[in-house]
Amino acid sequence: MRLVLFMVALAAASAAHAQFRIPSFDLNKAVESVKNVNKAVREPSEAEEISIGRDVASRLLGAAPLVDDPALQRYINQVGRWLALQTERSDLPWQFGVLDSPNLNAFAMPGGTIFITRGLLERMRSEAELGGVLGHEIAHVLRKHHLKAIQKGAQTALAGDALSAALRERGGAQRDKLIAFGAEMYSRGLDKSDELEADRLGVVIAARAGYDAYGLPAVLQTLQAMNPQDSGLALMFKTHPAPGERLDALGERMQPVLDAYSGQAQLADRFVRQLRR
Amino acid sequence: MKRLALLLFFFPLLALAEPANVIRATELKQEPATDSATLAALPENASVEALERKGGWTRVKTSSGEGWVRMLALRYKPGTAKAGDSGAKELFNVARTGSSGTQTTTGVRGLSAEQIANAQPNLAEMNKLKEFAADRGTAGGFAAEGNLAAKAVEYPKP
Repeated sequence: MRLVLFMVALAAASAAHAQFRIPSFDLNKAVESVKNVNKAVREPSEAEEISIGRDVASRLLGAAPLVDDPALQRYINQVGRWLALQTERSDLPWQFGVLDSPNLNAFAMPGGTIFITRGLLERMRSEAELGGVLGHEIAHVLRKHHLKAIQKGAQTALAGDALSAALRERGGAQRDKLIAFGAEMYSRGLDKSDELEADRLGVVIAARAGYDAYGLPAVLQTLQAMNPQDSGLALMFKTHPAPGERLDALGERMQPVLDAYSGQAQLADRFVRQLRR
Repeated sequence: MKRLALLLFFFPLLALAEPANVIRATELKQEPATDSATLAALPENASVEALERKGGWTRVKTSSGEGWVRMLALRYKPGTAKAGDSGAKELFNVARTGSSGTQTTTGVRGLSAEQIANAQPNLAEMNKLKEFAADRGTAGGFAAEGNLAAKAVEYPKP
């Protein structure tokens, strides 16, 4: 909206500037500018959302490849898809991957591609804990947190038609700019409110899937006990609220749900078997 | 091998005894349940040693004996987690990943902010990723094997 006003103001200013040559305000031109902006701020279609997410995912895989273990990758996909099936976007082409990095982190791309690092997986004790973390990432996709942030940020980098084209078509310099901006989102982080919302929804999604709802809090507690100076935590701590704050927020809002579903499955054995093979 | 056996002994029941504090005045319970007998009242900031978690409860050792406190009332002292203590780290087959415990994070690849910003697309890995995806049926079968049953749970109000 701010952008629309800016464009209108700009059109008005340039018309005023050119008053000697063109006596009247060029309404057609102003309307055209507003139309272009409207095109750009329209909600991307689901197909566009998926394709943006995949282009960003491809970059992340350029930073860290998948762990070379097909059975582990299939396992993470089964857990993840089962969780995603409990949500309002169960039909997205969900895909999950374990990245070969000792850092502790997880990433959700628009359209349903989700990564978790080997470093974070190694710190978990059960499938319920994994379910809590994947639930949090799935929630980001459901609520389009990254898509909205990418779109909002890209509007300042790519105006009007350029952004519209970059959303629509793969390839080209504008698209590269959009995707580079998208990848950068993952090193800058989302708004705190998005992260806390994803925590609350993640707990619910894990509970729906039949897991002990305390899986996510348990992982947050593990992170909280680690040395915050640990280099493997640097990016996650930069891009997320502190684990203690996230635990406080879950305690305030989610205690009844957590307790109602605390007796559900842990599946520690199945999880450990996958990592030990 | 002996080291692995040792780790398996401790895993995944407990993260050994980890020093922690209660962030608010809380009750030390005999069993992990609200309606269980109260053994002692722990004041805010009381120091405890955390032993194991069960649902929303953590078994702790305190100066007034052992019992259970609300897991969410506990905060660990940052930096107390020792490598391998709190998860499956040691169980992960490092031979498979080509990584070792001494691996450094320097080099071209990696997930630092800078490395992510400069990463180039990796289409070969994207193709692999697609191969591993699970469809509805597979995911349902996998859930059934683990006796996971879907529940209706409402999202919290915004």
